[in-house]
Amino acid sequence: MAEIKLENSSSDQWSDAAGGITRRELLKKGGKVAAVAAVSSVFSPFYIHSARAATKTLSFWQFYAPGSGEGDTQSKWFVDCVAAWNATHDVKVQLQYVPNQEYMNGSKLQTAFASGQGPDIFIISPGDFLRYYNGGVLVDLTPYMEEEAKKDFFPNVMETRIVDDKIYGLPMEVEPMAMYYSVKAFQEAGLSEADIPKTWDEYLGIAKKLTKGNRFGCLFETIPGYYQTFTWYPFMWQGGSDIATQDGKKSAFNSAGTVQALKFWQETIKQNLAPRNFLGGGGGDIVANLGSGLCAMQNCGIWGISALRQNAKDFQYGVFPLPIPPNGVPKSILGGWAFVANAKGPSPEESAKFCVWALGSMHEDSIQRIVDWCIKSKSDVSPRKSALDKAAAQGGYDSGPMKLFKDVIAPTGRGEPRVPPEVYKAVSDAIQASQLSGADPQQTAEEASQRIDGFLAGYTGAPLR
Amino acid sequence: MTDPPRTSLGNSVRNTDGSKGIRGPRRKALSERRARAFWTHSRKESIAAFLFILPDSIGLLIFVAVPMLLSLSLGFFSVDGFGGYKFVGLANYNRMFHDVLFLKSLWVTILYVLILVPGLYVSGLGLALLVRQKIPFIGVWRSLFFMPYVVSLVVIGLIWQVMLIDRIGFINQMLELVHLPSRSWLGDPSLALGAILFVTIWFLMGYYMIIFLSGLQEIPREYYEAARIDGASAWAMFTKITLPLLQPTSFFVLLVSTVSAVSGSQAFDLVYVMTKGGPANSTALAVFYIYQQAFQFNNYGYAAAMASSLVIVLMAITIALFMATRGGRFHLT
Repeated sequence: MAEIKLENSSSDQWSDAAGGITRRELLKKGGKVAAVAAVSSVFSPFYIHSARAATKTLSFWQFYAPGSGEGDTQSKWFVDCVAAWNATHDVKVQLQYVPNQEYMNGSKLQTAFASGQGPDIFIISPGDFLRYYNGGVLVDLTPYMEEEAKKDFFPNVMETRIVDDKIYGLPMEVEPMAMYYSVKAFQEAGLSEADIPKTWDEYLGIAKKLTKGNRFGCLFETIPGYYQTFTWYPFMWQGGSDIATQDGKKSAFNSAGTVQALKFWQETIKQNLAPRNFLGGGGGDIVANLGSGLCAMQNCGIWGISALRQNAKDFQYGVFPLPIPPNGVPKSILGGWAFVANAKGPSPEESAKFCVWALGSMHEDSIQRIVDWCIKSKSDVSPRKSALDKAAAQGGYDSGPMKLFKDVIAPTGRGEPRVPPEVYKAVSDAIQASQLSGADPQQTAEEASQRIDGFLAGYTGAPLR
Repeated sequence: MTDPPRTSLGNSVRNTDGSKGIRGPRRKALSERRARAFWTHSRKESIAAFLFILPDSIGLLIFVAVPMLLSLSLGFFSVDGFGGYKFVGLANYNRMFHDVLFLKSLWVTILYVLILVPGLYVSGLGLALLVRQKIPFIGVWRSLFFMPYVVSLVVIGLIWQVMLIDRIGFINQMLELVHLPSRSWLGDPSLALGAILFVTIWFLMGYYMIIFLSGLQEIPREYYEAARIDGASAWAMFTKITLPLLQPTSFFVLLVSTVSAVSGSQAFDLVYVMTKGGPANSTALAVFYIYQQAFQFNNYGYAAAMASSLVIVLMAITIALFMATRGGRFHLT
């Protein structure tokens, strides 16, 4: 860029001094500078600065805020984890909290990456894996892991975090979905444990009995987005259907299993057994809904145990596996978040080392960290065999819902699918249309399938799982 | 601007050393004369005017014109948000016409605008007429009506979300009190957009009330007194005096509310908080869909193409409104 010298600037003569510039030249050069600045600013938001200097502090974005009760114990786990790393490493890690809504549905992470300022370390769920993997911002963590540690993670949990045998994310938890019910509501309706529904028909029948006054019999997520599709997938799988074919190149969505799953959710609304909207943070917020008495049964993940433990201690509840359709097979879905490192950040290697040190090493601290998260800070099934055994030995799964999740529900689980946003949007639209608009499930499945096929025809990213 | 008057002295005077030109006190006097001639009153006024608008112009250039250029240019690229760029020509613009969801979001936006703009006009004017009356605690009433406008839209959205909840929400409880069936205001695709519109109007009507109030206060009271003496009814006074003399204010309200409705400056926050575009895309306004394409699907180029098109539509509406009313000067049309 041309250097501009302003000699004799104290004088009112802008032009005549030798070596200075005329007013016209100044305007011209100023205009050029402004134009260059404007053009570069136009494109810089979408330019990744690959040559950013290595930093001594790594940023770590996540959504577990310090606070009271449940939030505090979970936030503390992150704080302790980072403190332990910082005490023994030269390159420090700094936690940054992003509000949950903003993290999952907002634009903060996306705009940060778009401007080349993405965090060094962050957490993602399988639902968002392909967006970041296909964007080339995930570091291959495999070279930093011991062979033993790689084998220590359960294959069905890792399936959606691996591309070409390379590991791109290390899960800190496994979160299967199930049904929670209010013991009080069951008792009021004259029901007992023996009445716990095993099939969809039984479930609708029990929900009918539990629907009374302002209380709904059951609750399924209704807010559009990838959490809703996440909670709906197991019902589709129970009937033997899937989003795409095995090779991930064609849609398999338009099938009998899909249609019956759409119809099942539709019936809960049609028969006024489930609310169309609800309290708190949505369908995954068990305290605000089941805990408040808005519904008597709620489709929720294993995190509901710690949420109720921390925020509704006296609430009596039970858990049962997801009911199945006629001739269906028991299926749940295994959600959960994973640590990932930014390949386009200034220090991808150090970031990867942190992820592996925290969750993917055979070191005792690394294993105990997962144990602490899964049975103390939160309520989850461990993604690693060693940590699961250790957590069990420490009494984390001895009884009640935790035992049921570990022994009965998690073994029927399949990893949360990794699909591009365009695919889950098509699935989400099919669910929304049939569930809340009363549209024909067969037709919505067909339309979604066409959209998925249309997208997959030009898709060149990592395979869907 | 005109050049300062030139003198011929510079060419005709020869100095003692033989050089041409003017030196010393004469030159100074000439410069001062030139300067005086240059800094005419009108020139000073023009420069002052430019200086006054300069900060705003720089702001507009940096924060409006440049982003608009960015948006326009990005529309010709496929941009993934991770540094990936590919020139695709008009493909993004072509895609819009075949994108069922975008076309649906346009339809939702049209519905939204068609209801919101008249709704704001009627409610704003109605409130202004109401709070112009001599009633006790008029200041308190005016403040109460205006109050929602000073609260964050996110807070408004969260409060109304709870109030509109199925069965146990405040609104449904009120309906049950008068033996009316409760409805799922935010969960039923046939009602959700109406609920969003209701909250938007409730939020904005106080603002437009103030605008109309200032317009009403500009109308001389003598007109009403004369009409009253002539035996004109209240309705006749409203239609023959108030409405015609409110035309410039009406133009402003219609223009601003149309622009804000199309651009979704209020609707976006409410939709984001209350419905996330659901149920079944029934509240997915064009701006919300553009947001989804950019930040959820990482299709920045496509989102920019849609945004640019929306801006062009908006500009066309604005120009049409200005042309039809000569910039709100209805009496000249």
